[in-house]
Amino acid sequence: MSTQSQTQNRQLHWQRYRYPQSLIQFTLVLLALSALAYSIHFLNIDLQRLLSVFGRVGEVLAERYFPPDLAYISQPGYLQSVIESIQMAYLGAILGMLLAVPLAWFAAWNVTPARRWLYPLARLAIMGSRSVHEMIWTILFVTVLGFGMLPGVCALVMFCIGFAGKLFAEEIEVIDMGQVEAMQANGANPLQTFMYAVWPQVRTAWTGIAIYTWDVAFRAATVVGFFGAGGMGWYLKRNVQQLETERVAAILLSIVLLVLVSELISAWARHRLSRRRAGNQLQNA
Amino acid sequence: MSILHVNQLVARYPGAKTDTLKEISFTVNPADFYAIIGPSGAGKSTLIRCINRLVEPTSGTVRLFDQQITQLPPRQLRQTRRHIGMIFQEFNLVDRMSVMDNVLSGRLGYTSTWRSMLKLFSQADIQRALELLERVGLLEHVDKRADQLSGGQRQRVGIARALMQDPQLLLLDEPTASLDPKIARDVMTLIQQTARDLQIPVLCNIHDVALAKEFCNRILGLQDGRMMFDGETHSMSQQDLDRIYEREVL
Amino acid sequence: MSPLTQTFDHYSQQKRQQQWKHLAILAILLLTLLLSIHSIIIEDTDWQRIGTLEQVLASIGRFAALDFSLIPHLGVPMLETFMMACLGTLLGLFFSLPVAWFGALNVTPSRRLLYPFSRFLMTLSRSIHEMVWALIFVAAVGLGALPGILAIAMRSVGFISKIIAEAIENIDPKPVEAIRAMGGNNFQVMYYGIIPQIKTLVIGTIIFEWDINIRRSAIMGLVGAGGLGLTFFRQMAMYNYGGVTVVILAILTLILLGEIASHYVRKAIN
Repeated sequence: MSTQSQTQNRQLHWQRYRYPQSLIQFTLVLLALSALAYSIHFLNIDLQRLLSVFGRVGEVLAERYFPPDLAYISQPGYLQSVIESIQMAYLGAILGMLLAVPLAWFAAWNVTPARRWLYPLARLAIMGSRSVHEMIWTILFVTVLGFGMLPGVCALVMFCIGFAGKLFAEEIEVIDMGQVEAMQANGANPLQTFMYAVWPQVRTAWTGIAIYTWDVAFRAATVVGFFGAGGMGWYLKRNVQQLETERVAAILLSIVLLVLVSELISAWARHRLSRRRAGNQLQNA
Repeated sequence: MSILHVNQLVARYPGAKTDTLKEISFTVNPADFYAIIGPSGAGKSTLIRCINRLVEPTSGTVRLFDQQITQLPPRQLRQTRRHIGMIFQEFNLVDRMSVMDNVLSGRLGYTSTWRSMLKLFSQADIQRALELLERVGLLEHVDKRADQLSGGQRQRVGIARALMQDPQLLLLDEPTASLDPKIARDVMTLIQQTARDLQIPVLCNIHDVALAKEFCNRILGLQDGRMMFDGETHSMSQQDLDRIYEREVL
Repeated sequence: MSPLTQTFDHYSQQKRQQQWKHLAILAILLLTLLLSIHSIIIEDTDWQRIGTLEQVLASIGRFAALDFSLIPHLGVPMLETFMMACLGTLLGLFFSLPVAWFGALNVTPSRRLLYPFSRFLMTLSRSIHEMVWALIFVAAVGLGALPGILAIAMRSVGFISKIIAEAIENIDPKPVEAIRAMGGNNFQVMYYGIIPQIKTLVIGTIIFEWDINIRRSAIMGLVGAGGLGLTFFRQMAMYNYGGVTVVILAILTLILLGEIASHYVRKAIN
């Protein structure tokens, strides 16, 4: 064939790996692998145990955690704690989001009333409440306020400020600035600008975020009691400590089921929301 | 001996009310550059995809040399597909891979799973890929990512990739429809030249009748899944053309 | 009546119904709020015991006396926490791959069985709080870093596999068709046709999840899985509140480092 005879006397060259880059890549891969091996060694992880772990989880669950003590979780005391958890999540989410709204407003670079001091301050507040895990917030508030639902609510408020505040602020930062400028040109003050130019634009997105926040707040509320903040977590802790494994199994089961139910409800709400949004767009068009 | 023989081919998509292809029969011979023309929606793409069973035909047979493609189990089908090169309307390159890897991927059918996982292609494959890239004039773009090339260049990569398979038949699915007219002509010339050099018969879907008349020696006219014409290019009259396109609304 | 006014009446009626519905929902939400406030702040809280504002401020003040003597003992737990987060994320990714593959509608081997099952796993993994996962694994494999890693991994599976599955569902099918046409097997289709298209997104997701996992890893010690959480717990048990603050600062430092690292890695990828 003609191509082959043409190129036979002239060898073409190509290599996937070329000297400096290939060495760097190789070194990086080697470093990553040795770091991995070192961590496994450092943390004393028995790899053979890792392989059998899921079998053992099943075994332990079957032996000690089965059957779940369903009678225990149908007692009025426990059901009361379920309601407590829901109330804590609800109050925590609402207060947290109410506080998150101004913080998000201050922490959105494009509309913040004062870029010099309010912006960094609000950022710091959101970042700070985000970085500390909700369980640590719980322990801290229990230490200061004692046992009960109030510290749980406080912890959830901090958690929701961090969670919703960040998402709210991100949503503000992508709005159409033309409307904001129009308001400012009218001589509106920052609050008026926020109410008339920002709020209408982010309302739907924020509703979605609010539903999402409820999800995570409820999930957290089921376990904050573990450190003394009321709700189902308190029952969980007591039975874990007393090695009442069948009761623990029943409580875990009820937590998982409740969270799934709550997620189903919010999935339904989100679905309705997106349908309404689509409807609005149709009407506007 | 014929290369490809299609007999009474019928195709119907699941849930569709009518057949997309209605009893198509034709034969591709060794030196053919066979064109399938017809208005859009006539079933050209379906027909070409029935040859290598990217679309499963409902009934009828497709025979490549002495193999009944329509009855092959998955593994043998893959082995047969290696011998059928395909060039696509929108090039179908992996955008985030380099030109070289795209061309080398034409050898995947011949490469074992673990070798393809490590991208270990044989020296002969690499040599062949470079020769083909030189032939299509892209040797200096070897290490560029595929999405950095222009449309014409990307189709050339597609051609090189199909030729990597050492195909015994080339299927072209509207190879020029995404290119501007000048480049479309260049690409067709390149394909024609290469097919002649490497003695590969070509079956080509094409919307542009002028290009079909210029490059192809045989033409099959499809309208609404029905064969309206099958014969030598020079034997096709204006009347035949009108009949093929009679229902197209311009 | 003309058809136009008819539609208008119908429209306004609909509108009024909608308003009523909104009002009803709002009323329910408000009532629940009042009920919650009542039972939490009035019934459940013993304001006497919490004491005056000064007393509360005083007990907060105890956290301000930082205990710097703890700092030399923080290195190892910090490293442990960091490693737990890394290994947990890696293991999570490892578990995510099959879940994502089975849970992506366009590539799943079985739409009837494996697809809904994987989707269920994704929801389950995200629905269970990391504390609960940790409790389950501590019960099964005992104390140590391993249950923490497993808990983080299980908690990460849902998010990572959901993102990967969605990415697979949104790929450009054309390269896949090309690789099938040239005789590639399923693995080759996956490796050459799909993975190059989703690689960047997957790496971004893993970095994002790793960032969150540092936070999660820092509390694993609270239920017996080592790291900074354990140090925190011990300081708490000793009522050494200054030490508690120092541990929290250590956690914040670690998170900050993680965020800086992920910023640069993300930059290097794009």
